[in-house]
Amino acid sequence: MVEATLHGDRKVYSVSAFNEGIAVWLRRLPDVWIEGEVTELRRNDAWATMFFTLKDPTTGASLGVTMARRRFDALELHLVDGEKVQVQGRAEVYEVKGELAFRAGAIERLGLGDHLAGIERLKRALAAAGLFAAERKRPLPRLPRAVGVLTGADAAARGDVVMGIRARYPPMHIVVAETRVQGAGAPVRIVATLAALAAHPDVDVVVIARGGGSFEDLLPFSDERVVRAVVACPVPVVSAVGHEQDTPLCDLAADVRASTPSAAARLVVPDAAELGVALERSRAGLERTVRRLLTRDRERLERHVERLRAAPQLLLERRRATLDRAGARLQALSPRATLERGYAIVRLGESAVRDAAAVSTGALVDIELAVGALAARVEETRP
Amino acid sequence: VTEAERSFEELQRELEEVVGRLERGDVPVDEAIRLWQRGEELYRRCAAMLEAAAGRVEELAAETRDSGVPGM
Repeated sequence: MVEATLHGDRKVYSVSAFNEGIAVWLRRLPDVWIEGEVTELRRNDAWATMFFTLKDPTTGASLGVTMARRRFDALELHLVDGEKVQVQGRAEVYEVKGELAFRAGAIERLGLGDHLAGIERLKRALAAAGLFAAERKRPLPRLPRAVGVLTGADAAARGDVVMGIRARYPPMHIVVAETRVQGAGAPVRIVATLAALAAHPDVDVVVIARGGGSFEDLLPFSDERVVRAVVACPVPVVSAVGHEQDTPLCDLAADVRASTPSAAARLVVPDAAELGVALERSRAGLERTVRRLLTRDRERLERHVERLRAAPQLLLERRRATLDRAGARLQALSPRATLERGYAIVRLGESAVRDAAAVSTGALVDIELAVGALAARVEETRP
Repeated sequence: VTEAERSFEELQRELEEVVGRLERGDVPVDEAIRLWQRGEELYRRCAAMLEAAAGRVEELAAETRDSGVPGM
């Protein structure tokens, strides 16, 4: 059916003939299902065909998709950019331009089961890559300079975090960043907002707060881009997303998981009153210690001065005692003590008489006694 | 280090030495009297330093009792 002209032995096709040939060949292929994210959706009431681009969220590869506008409208999908869909159809060439597109016959928004299975697969893959490992978890700062809070327009979660922080630590600097947290397109915004918060010079910890919601509402918090952004965040992240039973993947990736936004507030700031009490206790301890040291020094000084004052007296007494002993010894050596015991000293002139032969009968001698002296005449001498 | 710049601990250590020498009692009496005078002087200076420190402690304690913890 496709006509070629012959130039010698060369078969040559016209452009339209070639495009038609491709089209015919492509029509022989069976229908397939493709999954991807919707972007660049273009639809106009005046057009017979609507267009969008289907994007592979992990590699970024894209494919143009076309669909009859009426058929698309009949599906009432109200698709927006970023939504995950499965599209049934086949490749088709736009013959006028030779452009390849995917002609969709059916579009289905990804079902709950598909999402669950997808999350489960992602969870296993990220866990295997070590993104949820306990040793990756960072400790929260004891007293951050500022707390970053990422929330949706959802007033309740935001209020719970801000009030919780204010109640515990009134002067805390809180940087709130609101962004779209549900629906298609939310993951990209959450990633950008988280990066902006972490880049704030004073923000030392970020709380991601999102109240409860339907499974679909919380899907962005299990998106691989969000999970990876939480892991890569330069400051610790506390995740308070949904209710206890939800466990979106960003809860697993966060450094700390909080069951509620209020619980997150309690985790990121210390209790100012408790801190004050502890500080006061330290100060009292400081004062007590200084006073104790002073008392110790004063007592030691008093002991020293007592000893100092007693020492000269003791020294003199010891000297006096020595002197007394010397005196006593002197005393003991003097003849006086001998006289006390009843001995007497006989003197002839100046010298003591030791030999009877030295004295002649009739000589006058002095006899010295312990008390007093006698003048005596020698009656007789015996050898 | 001049006499006035010496710390409380240095002065107290010297006082201790003086007392020790006096208590051993092997110094001549003149020397003992000189040591005693020196000891009394050291004591006066140590005591004055302690009193000054105690006064400063009271001042600080009163100051902090009045101020409270800032920002609380």
